[in-house]
Amino acid sequence: MIVATSYVRELVWRRFDDLWIVYQPSSAETHVFNQTTSEILKSLGDGAISEPGARTRVEQALGLATEGLTFEDFLPAVARLQELGLIDSLAENPAHP
Amino acid sequence: MIVADLNRREFARKLAGAGLSIRFGPFNLTIRSDLSSLATAAHELYAPYPVPETDAIHDFHVGVARPRSLRRWIRRQACFVVDSNRPFAPYTVEHAFPALEWGINWCVATRSHHLLMLHAAGVERGGRAILFPASPGDGKSTLCTALIHSGWRLLSDEFGLVRPEDGALLPLPRLIPLKNESIEVIRRFRPQAVFGPAFFGTRKGTVVHVQPPVDSIRRMHETARPRWLVFPRWTAGAPLSLQPMAKSEAFVMVAGNAFNYEVLDETAFRLVAEMVERCDCYALSYSDLAEAVAALDDLSPAADG
Repeated sequence: MIVATSYVRELVWRRFDDLWIVYQPSSAETHVFNQTTSEILKSLGDGAISEPGARTRVEQALGLATEGLTFEDFLPAVARLQELGLIDSLAENPAHP
Repeated sequence: MIVADLNRREFARKLAGAGLSIRFGPFNLTIRSDLSSLATAAHELYAPYPVPETDAIHDFHVGVARPRSLRRWIRRQACFVVDSNRPFAPYTVEHAFPALEWGINWCVATRSHHLLMLHAAGVERGGRAILFPASPGDGKSTLCTALIHSGWRLLSDEFGLVRPEDGALLPLPRLIPLKNESIEVIRRFRPQAVFGPAFFGTRKGTVVHVQPPVDSIRRMHETARPRWLVFPRWTAGAPLSLQPMAKSEAFVMVAGNAFNYEVLDETAFRLVAEMVERCDCYALSYSDLAEAVAALDDLSPAADG
């Protein structure tokens, strides 16, 4: 499962051409997001979701067929968002103490 | 009052004494030096610049002085001084004037964080400006010099100063330091331009300063609105090419060419985004200066239509 961090709410978005230029106040960094990356963040707006679920939502948002978005495109975008502190991974089966 | 109202002797006396006050765009400076060669070049090239009122607040107190160490007896050297600090290694005394000019630019670049500072040349016509964000060596000073001697007003050959309150560009029409091959290019293009003395063997090669047209200096208080972002690249023998550029690419290049983008945080992001939204963006590749000037002249009527 992946979930958006609280930093996502602070992002400042500007669209140029088919890219998003995004300012992240928590790191004072500016990022260039392609449509896949930006749609992943939007897909997390309702809370935690599985990676396949997020991928399906992104495919729908981009007008792609099911499995039209390859994992080679999807997973690096997820990894980058994790690096930026914008999404977190949640354990699928958390161990109970 | 302008510098030309002082004769050479008065000018040198002020420079060697309490300092000469001079205004460059939004900045008041006090300049001190007892080097006669510097006084000669400065008196000639700063002639059209205004002298602020005596009670004006000064942004920078700069000067060029002999080294304090034993070096002064071994080699004739000169040090750039700002607020009693000497931030650079000494220069040979013959290069005192270019050292002063570079030092003033350094002061602006490192101490003017109330403005967004783009590393960009800028010219204006009809209240609308072209900004040329570029890295050193891309030919922005040469192109800018040609344009200001072809009907455009100089904003700056080095700094795109953006006022955060409204995104207006503040002019900083300083001397333009042409280097190496650019010197002869401009001498051929506009022989009647006001050229200073040649300084050979500086850290940047041969340097000649060009005085901006007097109209640009007189109008240093008139702000301008950015209308075009043009990313120039001079390449020997290259055919002229002025191609529209994607705004996302332009954003990255403008932000990457800013002196203090990180310092200003979200303010810088907002200012660059608004500028890119407002401007038409182009990549310019050229080798012939006259062709490049003509192409940029054509942008203006096209925008009017």
